[in-house]
Amino acid sequence: MQVIELFKTAIQSLKANKKRSFLTIIGIMIGIAAVIAILGIGDGITQTMYDKFGNNAKQGQQTTEIAFYPDNLTSSTYGFTQTEVDNIKTQFGGEIKRVQIERETDNLSTQAQIGDTTKRTNVSLLKKPTNKISLISGKNFTKNNLTAGQASALMSDKVAKKQYGTAQNALGTTVTVNDVTYNIIGVYKAQGQYTGDGNQNPYGADILVPDSLYYHGESATQGNTLKLTLSQGVNASHISRKVAKYLKKNGPARNQGSYEYIDMEKALKQFSSEMSIITTFISFIAAISLFIAGIGVMNMMYISVSERTQEIGIRLAVGATPFNIMMQFLVEAVILTVTGGLLGFIGGAGLAHLLAPLLSNAIGGAGIHIHAHISMNAFLLAFGTSAAVGLIFGILPARQAANKNLIDILR
Amino acid sequence: MITLKNINKYYHQGNQRFHVLHDISIEIDRGELVAIIGESGSGKSTLINIIGFLDDDFEGTYFYQDHPIHDYTRKQFSGLRNQNVGFVFQNFKLLRESTVADNVALPLLYAGKSRKEIGARVSEVLNQVGLAGYEQQLPKNMSGGQQQRVSIARAISTHPKFLIADEPTGALDSETSQEIMNLFKSLNQNEGTTIIMVTHDPHVAEQCERVIKIIDGRVISDSKEGEKRAGN
Repeated sequence: MQVIELFKTAIQSLKANKKRSFLTIIGIMIGIAAVIAILGIGDGITQTMYDKFGNNAKQGQQTTEIAFYPDNLTSSTYGFTQTEVDNIKTQFGGEIKRVQIERETDNLSTQAQIGDTTKRTNVSLLKKPTNKISLISGKNFTKNNLTAGQASALMSDKVAKKQYGTAQNALGTTVTVNDVTYNIIGVYKAQGQYTGDGNQNPYGADILVPDSLYYHGESATQGNTLKLTLSQGVNASHISRKVAKYLKKNGPARNQGSYEYIDMEKALKQFSSEMSIITTFISFIAAISLFIAGIGVMNMMYISVSERTQEIGIRLAVGATPFNIMMQFLVEAVILTVTGGLLGFIGGAGLAHLLAPLLSNAIGGAGIHIHAHISMNAFLLAFGTSAAVGLIFGILPARQAANKNLIDILR
Repeated sequence: MITLKNINKYYHQGNQRFHVLHDISIEIDRGELVAIIGESGSGKSTLINIIGFLDDDFEGTYFYQDHPIHDYTRKQFSGLRNQNVGFVFQNFKLLRESTVADNVALPLLYAGKSRKEIGARVSEVLNQVGLAGYEQQLPKNMSGGQQQRVSIARAISTHPKFLIADEPTGALDSETSQEIMNLFKSLNQNEGTTIIMVTHDPHVAEQCERVIKIIDGRVISDSKEGEKRAGN
């Protein structure tokens, strides 16, 4: 018998019993969908972490950071100066494309003169207008304010009330930071110093000023964070560790603090392996439903075989071999499960994409957006598993069909 | 063409063993129209199942065109059935949910023929049994006589060497029975198809050229043997 006829016959038989076929497909679909959804979200979380913190976070570039932690938090010593940058450039020129002292823009602790008092204040620098603060009075920054070099600033209501009594009163006053005097054009509601995911919150500062004015348009010549951009293909973690080691020996401030390379990649690897253990474990539990669905397939095939005894007899009588009969029932089972598997894949992928944003909301971090990640492997897994379920749970009923005694059937 | 020698057949039921066929020896030649008659339980259906390669569980020797059928495996039986025998059953045994064309095509599919060949052959045999144009009908919407014609069309679709018919008119009224018998006779005379049928309708049996009577698993009379004896 030709293979295509085998499939046609199988599809015809399944159509003859639409309801039962449909229910069996649903069973498999739920099983596969559960596994795919969990894998999709698990992969998604890992992927998100790599995107956010990995060495390749910026597209096509490997970047790492080396930080200097001063022993005395209030000291004004900087860990990196232009000399360091030049030294590192000559030492590691082959592997490192660019060395840069990070310009710090968030929560700079500095002296500011507010009205007639001078005190230590947290200042954040803005490059673009933001809608993440809620204005109490006055106006927010516009694009023009920030790029045109106007000396305007925003003040938090906490500072405003302390200094001027009400938020309204603060408008029009001045604040002097780093020898530049800014006009207060708006007052915003004070925020916490840290975001939900534990990062520094730039909008938790007391005063917001334009980035262009604060640094006078120059790049930083000193700071506590060094940013390395590495050539493609080199082992970023390895090189960065070497640079950190070099700095520990030769850094200008090595006696006032410590240079640390935070190997995100290593931490991420550990995270991803832990994540995959958890994902696998949950998938196993989801696979139980797949097993139950498999038993459903088997049940249906057994019923089908006993219901279609006459048909089997007729086919055997007109010349079907037992192998033909077995293949027919096996193909029916596999068509059922593979259909269920593909539908389950679509359903599971959809479910993962629906659940991932909810999950990010539940975590609450504004900075973290988890996207479900459905890989080609997941597709192959769905396809392979469902086909395997069809074969495993279909073979016994199919063999029973093939081994029926022809004389008993036809009598 | 068919040579049975000392065929014995037992049925097992629990610990009991029923001896259904006793030392049956029959020879059937090409082109014969044979009726096997006998009361129910006499073993005639059992015998016809053995002749038609449906039953391989018997003692004795069965040579079909010099093939030692008694030595064949189940799989070889399938091929042999497909190539050599057509079956017609009392209750038609059609796939009720499939069209007439699909039913008739079934043996051709298992013979490995392509769709194109099959379509032409199906129309040809349906025409032969007087059901031209019925390809897309469903058997469940047809009369008994028509269904039996479909099953005859299915039986002859692979150009079998012989037809096995187990009570082909058992479920039909006498007028329809006669139509079916006429069809068998014309197949036998015009196409030279060997036909072996089981019946207990004497009216049907008397239209066959050879009648074998079986009682309690033994051949009681064979009209051909009678002729031979008469000739001697």
